[in-house]
Amino acid sequence: MTEKWRLLDTGLHDAFYNMALDEAIAIARSRNLVPNTLRFFRWNPSAVSIGYFQGMEEEVDVAACKERGINYVRRRTGGGAVYHDREGELTYSLMISEEHRLISRDFQKTYETLCSGLVSGLRSLGIPSEFKPINDIVVAGKKISGNAQTRGMGVVHQHGTILREVDPVLMFKVLKVPNEKIRDKMIKSVEERVTSVNRYLRREVGFKELEEALVDGFKDSFNVELEPGGATEFEEHRAAQIRKRKYATKKWNFKR
Amino acid sequence: MGKAEYKVEGGKMIRVYLTKKNDVIEEVKITGDFFLHPEVFIEELEEALKGRTLNEPSLTELIESLSAKRDATFLGVFPRDVARCIMMAGAKDD
Repeated sequence: MTEKWRLLDTGLHDAFYNMALDEAIAIARSRNLVPNTLRFFRWNPSAVSIGYFQGMEEEVDVAACKERGINYVRRRTGGGAVYHDREGELTYSLMISEEHRLISRDFQKTYETLCSGLVSGLRSLGIPSEFKPINDIVVAGKKISGNAQTRGMGVVHQHGTILREVDPVLMFKVLKVPNEKIRDKMIKSVEERVTSVNRYLRREVGFKELEEALVDGFKDSFNVELEPGGATEFEEHRAAQIRKRKYATKKWNFKR
Repeated sequence: MGKAEYKVEGGKMIRVYLTKKNDVIEEVKITGDFFLHPEVFIEELEEALKGRTLNEPSLTELIESLSAKRDATFLGVFPRDVARCIMMAGAKDD
């Protein structure tokens, strides 16, 4: 019998809830209250997230975010600053027991294993993507997905982005550039180094189609069943608490 | 305050902000897009670096031994890269 995981699609939420729910699910998983989980989500409003070790003021033009109603949040995972566009990005997260056969003690290896679900899903759409160490997925040398992982309480938590559409101009309105002179250069460089599902396929791929392809990709690569479900009461309650006490606070977001 | 940036080839970026007195670290902050598990080790490391002399080999050794003791793992940068960036920031704090 194939092992059963939970599939969650939590739709559109603000950045603070999105980060809080990931953490709440990791806690629930660590207490064995829920099975291993694959979650898909999106961002409303659009948001910027930064890695655990980054400085908020260093990476994000906070004033520009406020002006545009864009959220900014610090993640519990390391890695770089990401602009999460409401219409451009699909985000996933995985909460898996550290004891699971897919998890290695080696972080690099685990990234590759967990990203294989995305790679397989993107390939089924006709995008010949591949994993690129440390934590990216690329197609024809251009980045299409970035991923970040943390571990704690016996649970591996990995989340990442799949670019459906990309707008480098807007990206550099909210992310800091070292100086104005090189803004155009950086925009151009992103255009050269980053692609998206729609851009690569030269057609509009809806969120539903993209998500279905990725679900199948994860099923095939992980050899698991994905049973659609909802967040538990425990998770919702914890998420609300963690949102309020951590991710929506200045103390957390500006701590570095 | 001295500030330095160091992009590890094939790896990630480190930024260090540092104040020193003579050649001793007073305050240090390490930021960047690298990975470190467990994440909270960065704050412990910053605390442990206070009062240490700016000497690259001994800083590398300190970061390595503290990481080993804590079972902490860097990804995208090595302890020696962190030490190097600390030295670069130290050289700029005058």
